[in-house]
Amino acid sequence: MAPVELLFKRSVFRAVLVYTALLAIAWCWLFPIAWAVSGSLKSGGEISEPILFPAHPRWSNYTEVFTLMPFWRMFFNTVFYAGCITAGQVFFCSLAGYAFARLRFRGRDTLFVLYLGTLMVPLTVTVIPQFIIMRVLGWVDTPWAMIVPGLFGGAFGTYLMRQFFSTLPTDLEEAATLDGCSPWQIYWRVLLPHARPAVTVLAVLTWVNVWNDFLWPLLMIQRNSLATLTLGLVRMRGEYVARWPLIMAMSMLIMLPLVIIYAIAQRSFVRGIAVTGLNG
Amino acid sequence: MTSLDTSAGPRPWRRRAWAGRLFVAPNLAAVTVFLLFPLGFSLYMSFQQWDVFNPPKFLGLRNFRELFTSDPLFLIAIRNTAVFTLGTVVPTVLISLVVAGVLNQKIKGIGIVRTIVFLPLAISSVVMAVVWQFVFNTDNGLLNIMLGWIGVGPIPWLVEPRWAMFSLCVVSVWRAVPFAAVILLAAMQGVPETVYEAAKIDGAGGIRQFVSITVPLIRGAVTFVVVISIIHAFQAFDMVYVLNGSNGGPETATYVLGIMLFQHAFSFLEFGYASALAWVMFGILLVLTVLQLRLSRQRSMEAASGPG
Repeated sequence: MAPVELLFKRSVFRAVLVYTALLAIAWCWLFPIAWAVSGSLKSGGEISEPILFPAHPRWSNYTEVFTLMPFWRMFFNTVFYAGCITAGQVFFCSLAGYAFARLRFRGRDTLFVLYLGTLMVPLTVTVIPQFIIMRVLGWVDTPWAMIVPGLFGGAFGTYLMRQFFSTLPTDLEEAATLDGCSPWQIYWRVLLPHARPAVTVLAVLTWVNVWNDFLWPLLMIQRNSLATLTLGLVRMRGEYVARWPLIMAMSMLIMLPLVIIYAIAQRSFVRGIAVTGLNG
Repeated sequence: MTSLDTSAGPRPWRRRAWAGRLFVAPNLAAVTVFLLFPLGFSLYMSFQQWDVFNPPKFLGLRNFRELFTSDPLFLIAIRNTAVFTLGTVVPTVLISLVVAGVLNQKIKGIGIVRTIVFLPLAISSVVMAVVWQFVFNTDNGLLNIMLGWIGVGPIPWLVEPRWAMFSLCVVSVWRAVPFAAVILLAAMQGVPETVYEAAKIDGAGGIRQFVSITVPLIRGAVTFVVVISIIHAFQAFDMVYVLNGSNGGPETATYVLGIMLFQHAFSFLEFGYASALAWVMFGILLVLTVLQLRLSRQRSMEAASGPG
């Protein structure tokens, strides 16, 4: 009996240990966010009190955000930029990815190696010339600067889509080719509908990256009417120094749409990061 | 060629080749204009003295020489970046190994914990920096309130130069661990169950199995995480800018290379000098990455040829 008892004790001990670790880990990553939510519902006086649930949650902090800054304008801007770039990335990257995976032309493989190489170029090196290009084009402080650089695709998305298309079986296309479909029809009607998993990953990663981007809007946008939410938050923090409930309410409002996207697309999002190793 | 070719006008393979070029064209144009051209142009600029107002003046290697010999702030930035990179990457890798190990347990409720831990991946580092500023606040931040309970006086987390770098590292680790854990967890899930069976028969405990089986088996993923974390930390900007201010303060406590680059390029409009700095950063990163990859390859080869 003794060994069985020992084994039982050991497994109970182990379960307790694992659950304690789980709780501690969950708490570490939840508490700053929970504290911020709590702070966004406090009054200025309650901010220094260590309570997670304020007695009288002040929802008016949120309404004040809408009156103090053009929140909806910035929200719309961000959605617009993210929407355009995501649509563009998905379309042009899947198109090029299909070509790299399936359509043979001279220099194709060399070109693809070049694409892989550009994946290693850090933003640090390219951001200054990109800034100058925008100045020369006169696009600084216009929506063009926010949208055009990402609109026609990029190396990362192309690589992702190409890898996905390479894994698809060729019989679908062969049947379509025999039916007289053009390469475009094959792409649009046959392959793209089958690429939903990869398209979702690319779309979610792109959307989140544009939504969270800070350096590029900081460089490009001066007018508040064109600003993104992250830029708006940093500016508002400068204007309303130490009004923590207000700043936390604004932070939560920026976070919320992404939390919703995360809740819906968690699987694609997390898998996308695991597969690509990319996170903004 | 089959008989289909003659009936279909232009030959299909030729048509497909043209379609291929056409489909790649817009993408290639974007990559050329916004990546390849900037890459070359940046290198060109690093040999020039140039603001946007005056024509560029060729300097040869003078920008680089000035960086290393007569810019005391560059040495400070290098030192701060090295401290920050070490202080972020080492804890990130160790903590994320433990977190991924715990998240890899097949028990009830694990899904919820994974959802919570991975949530920060979706949130912008700007928002997280603002939230952490609230937590670090000297007078009424949560951290100092909690320290007050155990009788520790308020610590000026972001105000005192000595603490500022520490605080920055804490937030960066907090932000980087979920990302690293996703990659490590995926690798751990790829380890086949059968590998553990022998160890179980030998009576090796969970922690023992983790250290001597799981971690060595996912060495590739660990190397990847180390490389990516170094690349991220070395170029840190958003987090520092929002948490510690656009000057990398207080004083020069968090003045890292990313902040230095931003200042020279976009505050002082010294595009030539800033480009030289960017290439120095790129160079250091390349050397670090190659060294790291070579080192890990050597180690795995030794492990493969060694006894056992």
